[in-house]
Amino acid sequence: MSEREVDQLLVDRAQHGDKHAFELLVTKYQRRLARLISRFVRDSVAVEDVTQEAFIKAYRALPTFRGESAFYTWLYRIGINTAKNHLQALKRRAPTTTLFDAEESEGFEDASLLHEVSTPENELMSKQVVDVVNSSLQELPDDLRTALTLREIEELSYEEIAAAMNCPVGTVRSRIFRAREAIATNLRPLLGTSKNKRW
Amino acid sequence: MKQKISALMDGELFDDDAETILDKLKQNPDMQEEWRSYHLIGDVLRQSDNVHANISIAIHKRLQAEPTVLSPHKRDSHNARWLALSAAASVMALTLVAWLSMQVGSETVPQLAMRQSQNVQPANLPAHGLDDYLMAHQEFSPGLDVHGMTAYVHTVASQQEDQ
Repeated sequence: MSEREVDQLLVDRAQHGDKHAFELLVTKYQRRLARLISRFVRDSVAVEDVTQEAFIKAYRALPTFRGESAFYTWLYRIGINTAKNHLQALKRRAPTTTLFDAEESEGFEDASLLHEVSTPENELMSKQVVDVVNSSLQELPDDLRTALTLREIEELSYEEIAAAMNCPVGTVRSRIFRAREAIATNLRPLLGTSKNKRW
Repeated sequence: MKQKISALMDGELFDDDAETILDKLKQNPDMQEEWRSYHLIGDVLRQSDNVHANISIAIHKRLQAEPTVLSPHKRDSHNARWLALSAAASVMALTLVAWLSMQVGSETVPQLAMRQSQNVQPANLPAHGLDDYLMAHQEFSPGLDVHGMTAYVHTVASQQEDQ
């Protein structure tokens, strides 16, 4: 089962009422979608707002998704359209933006979550997460680091990695898992203390 | 179990295993944490200079307010693939038949005509015998309107000549 087929499996479940399956897709694609949207929208608070909106739009549109394209290409299209609509809306209401947005955000249930984004605490947290991941990767044995790097950065399949590293596919599977688990073990103390589990 | 989560997110599990792991992921918060942290690691490794915070909790809250999606159609990729193959085969067959008929229409007729013109030789008959020849073979003339009468006409003409 390929990565695309796993996505389709989750989409099928979500289309039949399983919201949790859609949330697994959110966890998987949230940062990639946010990074794409940040190419259109510069304000980091707005990036998260637009990303959330894009996911909600995708959820509502799930009945129309037939799997003719990959889920992520469909999601990215929705993300780009949502970002463009956001920019057009900003242009239309530019003179009264500040007051209107403040009133709007007070009535919004998750406003506190949205406005936490660009605080110094969160920027520090982001830097810590990056440092822990990178330093943990460097501490790994060569074979684990190579296997994880080929998978995550070069996006090779297990079979391709096995050919490159001259070892069985089962060994590749084990090495990638052990590498992830070693890094995750170092990350957990950081993630566990994070307010609202924002990482 | 954690190793299977790792393989699942890479699309390297068999179908049945994937279904089982997804069922367990739904019920087990610890496994959900693994899914979350493994994806965070991948995102950081791919682009460490611009790592966005986790918005899945905010989306989770918003999803609770959304009506549950229930898709009326079940996607069946197997049937769709067979339909597409059948359609493609039909189009190919029609194209082949059309092409063959065009080949027959455009090439065979001129070839036959050329053969006729090459093989047929002009009859070398003396001028005085031409009338007799035409009279004897008039029943084969394509311009004759009453083919059934030719034998009778020929007989009457012969009798008149004899008289």
